[in-house]
Amino acid sequence: MAVSAATRPKPFLEAEFCKGCLRCIDACPKDCISQGDQINAGTGYVPVELDLENCNGCALCIQACPEPFGLRPETDHADHVHAAEFELEDPKTLFGERSSSAPTPVARPGSEIALPATEPLVLKGTYASALGALLAGCRHVFGYPITPSTEGAELMAKVLPKLDGAFVQAVSEVAVVNMMYGCSGAGLPCITFTSSPGFSLMLEGISYMIGAELPGVFVNVMRGGPGLGNIAPEQSDIKLACRGLGHGNTHAITLAPATPQEMLDLTRLAFSLSFKYRNPVVILGDGYLGQMTGVVRLPKTMTKPGLPAWAVWGDREHRSNLICSILLVETELEAHNIHLNDKYAEMAATEQRSDRYRCEDAEVLLVACNTPAGMAKGAVEDLRNQGVKAGLFRPITLWPFPITSLAPLLSTVKRIVVVEASPGQLEDELRLALSHAGIAPPPISSVRRFGGVLPQQSEIVAGVLKGGAQ
Amino acid sequence: MSVFYDRFARHEKGVGLKGHSTHYCPGCGHGIVHRDLAESIEALGIQDRTVLISPVGCSVFAYYYFDVGNSQAAHGRAPAVAIGHKLANPDSIVICYQGDGDLASIGLAETISTAQMGLPLTIIFINNAIYGMTGGQLAPTSLMGQKTTTSPDGRTQMMGQPLRMAELIAQLDGPVYVERVALFNPKQRTRARKAIEKAIRLQTEGRGYAFIEILAECPTHLKMTPEETEAWVKDHMESIYPLGVKKDLTVEPWWDRKAPSFEPEKLLGMIGADHEAVPRFATGFPTHLGGKDISFKLAGAGGDGAQTAALLLARAGIDEGFDATHIPSYGPESRGGTSYADVHLAETEVLNPAAPHPHVLIAFNAPSLVKFAPNVREGGLILYDSTIIDDLPPMPAGRRVIGAPFTAIARGLERPMVKNIVALGALQAATGLFPPETFLATMKMVLKDKPALLPVNEAAFAAGMRHTAEVPV
Repeated sequence: MAVSAATRPKPFLEAEFCKGCLRCIDACPKDCISQGDQINAGTGYVPVELDLENCNGCALCIQACPEPFGLRPETDHADHVHAAEFELEDPKTLFGERSSSAPTPVARPGSEIALPATEPLVLKGTYASALGALLAGCRHVFGYPITPSTEGAELMAKVLPKLDGAFVQAVSEVAVVNMMYGCSGAGLPCITFTSSPGFSLMLEGISYMIGAELPGVFVNVMRGGPGLGNIAPEQSDIKLACRGLGHGNTHAITLAPATPQEMLDLTRLAFSLSFKYRNPVVILGDGYLGQMTGVVRLPKTMTKPGLPAWAVWGDREHRSNLICSILLVETELEAHNIHLNDKYAEMAATEQRSDRYRCEDAEVLLVACNTPAGMAKGAVEDLRNQGVKAGLFRPITLWPFPITSLAPLLSTVKRIVVVEASPGQLEDELRLALSHAGIAPPPISSVRRFGGVLPQQSEIVAGVLKGGAQ
Repeated sequence: MSVFYDRFARHEKGVGLKGHSTHYCPGCGHGIVHRDLAESIEALGIQDRTVLISPVGCSVFAYYYFDVGNSQAAHGRAPAVAIGHKLANPDSIVICYQGDGDLASIGLAETISTAQMGLPLTIIFINNAIYGMTGGQLAPTSLMGQKTTTSPDGRTQMMGQPLRMAELIAQLDGPVYVERVALFNPKQRTRARKAIEKAIRLQTEGRGYAFIEILAECPTHLKMTPEETEAWVKDHMESIYPLGVKKDLTVEPWWDRKAPSFEPEKLLGMIGADHEAVPRFATGFPTHLGGKDISFKLAGAGGDGAQTAALLLARAGIDEGFDATHIPSYGPESRGGTSYADVHLAETEVLNPAAPHPHVLIAFNAPSLVKFAPNVREGGLILYDSTIIDDLPPMPAGRRVIGAPFTAIARGLERPMVKNIVALGALQAATGLFPPETFLATMKMVLKDKPALLPVNEAAFAAGMRHTAEVPV
């Protein structure tokens, strides 16, 4: 469809939008454009000058111009406003209020679908967590194989294609977290299963997700560290999840399940918290829990996710959205951090969770989470049988630490024994929480094993009876 | 022009000049490519469907300008982010806009793997042979001898040679279209414009992954005028980075993904959830074995079936309405040596799932027997495979010790693998754990998809029971 030279639009230029790069001069076959000699007062650049007497509207100068509002066909010009009306300091009068014709984004609600009653399942922890994700409406899973978390990914790889979902085995954990950034940025729930070294690799991306306010669930089946460590269970990443989620001012609700049932229940909860706060949620399991098989009862409903208003979905309704974590203006980044702090404060106020076992009259309070909490629970029974008034306080959220439910117990507690499969990471969280709450605690001792060894029930009993730190 | 915002509200709030000019230096190639991209999106009528992934680098702020869905990625990870978007909404048109540091240095793994994966995506790669945003450092695409702030005496072999991304990507199987274009004269700019539109069109048609490398000008950090930079690209870059189509396959549209299913029955069927109640046979918890929480250790060599037997045991307990757990052996042993399992069975709740001091040990080989027999509780039971362990080592006093020929019985059934089921039969006979029907019902349910295997397993269980019942205690 040839357009004759006579009807092709000629270029026009508003001097303020020319940076004087001169790339258009060579582009013009008719030598219509020349270097100007007047510095533009508004920009400090020297704009080119047009003499369009010989112009045939070939538009090669427009193609050469790097500025969107630089050289343009004069038809564009007519659409907008005459250069003479241009007011440098008042853009609102220049092209109107709107910068986009895209509508205001709206949320599409999700729904809860009733699940028919079923017999209890017998599942290992990683499978239970994967099932929890499926029931929470997650159909997009990104993963990289790492022992002892891999079964979660394997189950998803088997199930998701049949549900028209997607499982992607990424090139690395770095790619995994960024695929999650994309999927979550599009507004959909997603999850990954990893273990300690892989979780380390994801931290940069988690920081980006927190900065960009994106949901996402990270199941870290913790193993022995540092470095390659081993593949045996350790509570090695409590510090990382609670205090070190990548660079910057970051926090995420960190859940610590203790049974396969909780792997399912807390994974479902993680998705709802993640979308509620637009923030990642971390589930810390341990190698034992990932592999442990137990009874798992299904909930009454499953979730069909909606689409949040903020999603970059790739449609007209959400066209005006942006997912990003860059805020160049210092005061804006400060304001963003204040906003994040407000969210963290709300999480701390409303999302503390814990479980208490025989704590009502406890004088010796064991504090433990994950599988070591099982050993500690057994130890409580043994100690009670020996006349020691022991109880177990089990934080389910490690961040925020459930200090509100711990504090009232301390009126009868004469000492605390922290039981953990790490050299003190849980105890540090406990002490920080006590300190922030201004609580002077009773003496704290510990029973610790690590390197892939879990504290055994008999060791805990002995540790408590001995009364001191090991 | 409609694909550019009417006013760049994100560029310093769109106040004054910033509302209508880019943040790029005068003469920068990015602006020209931005225009090509905007025109292509408009020409294809896909503005509403487009998701543009901005990188880290000078074009980090591409989202200032394009009136499309925007996401800004971590350095080098745009292709991974793009995969997330494309799989979330298969109908979206996802375009990665990346510079040479982003795509060809820090993001190489994502670049290559995404290209090979071959999802319909469009990658716009700006190669200007230098790092712009950080201030003129060596890029993976800098030329040999090129002076930058981190190669002040020129690029040498020690810094590696220029990386030819278009050629590298073209030799992969995933991409359908790869072309290198330039911007240094009207002819090249026209080619660039066409190539960009084609690369996006292939995505809209669901044909596959397309990669366009664009030799672009960075006058500021090459310390030249825009005109000189155009000449430098033509005279110095083009010989190292030859222009042209590197790959152009004819591929039929194949990208067609359905919306995910949220049908409860489909999901439940896939995970093996049963609506039928499992029959119960036990009249109470087997407290005669040691209270309300019984622990078992099953140990053998890898392949002995200790884990399967342990799972059946836990499952039988759960089917009877009790609580049960199973933890497999953990660590190097699972790679061929000893494979052992801890099982707990509790009337109401398993407190501690570990079984360091079990009530019952089932040993499939001598090392397991030697290792775990001393830990069995006093009054507990030690059950072992007398086919494998014909010379019984000294056993701790105060424990019942029963040998049964698990292996010989299984061989007799011409199915050596069922020796673990023989062991469960022996356990049943030696302990009266549940009514025998419990195990049979559990096996039937576990094997419901493989009914052909049921008779031999039933026979193995019965033989294990029969033999052990005859052993004098």
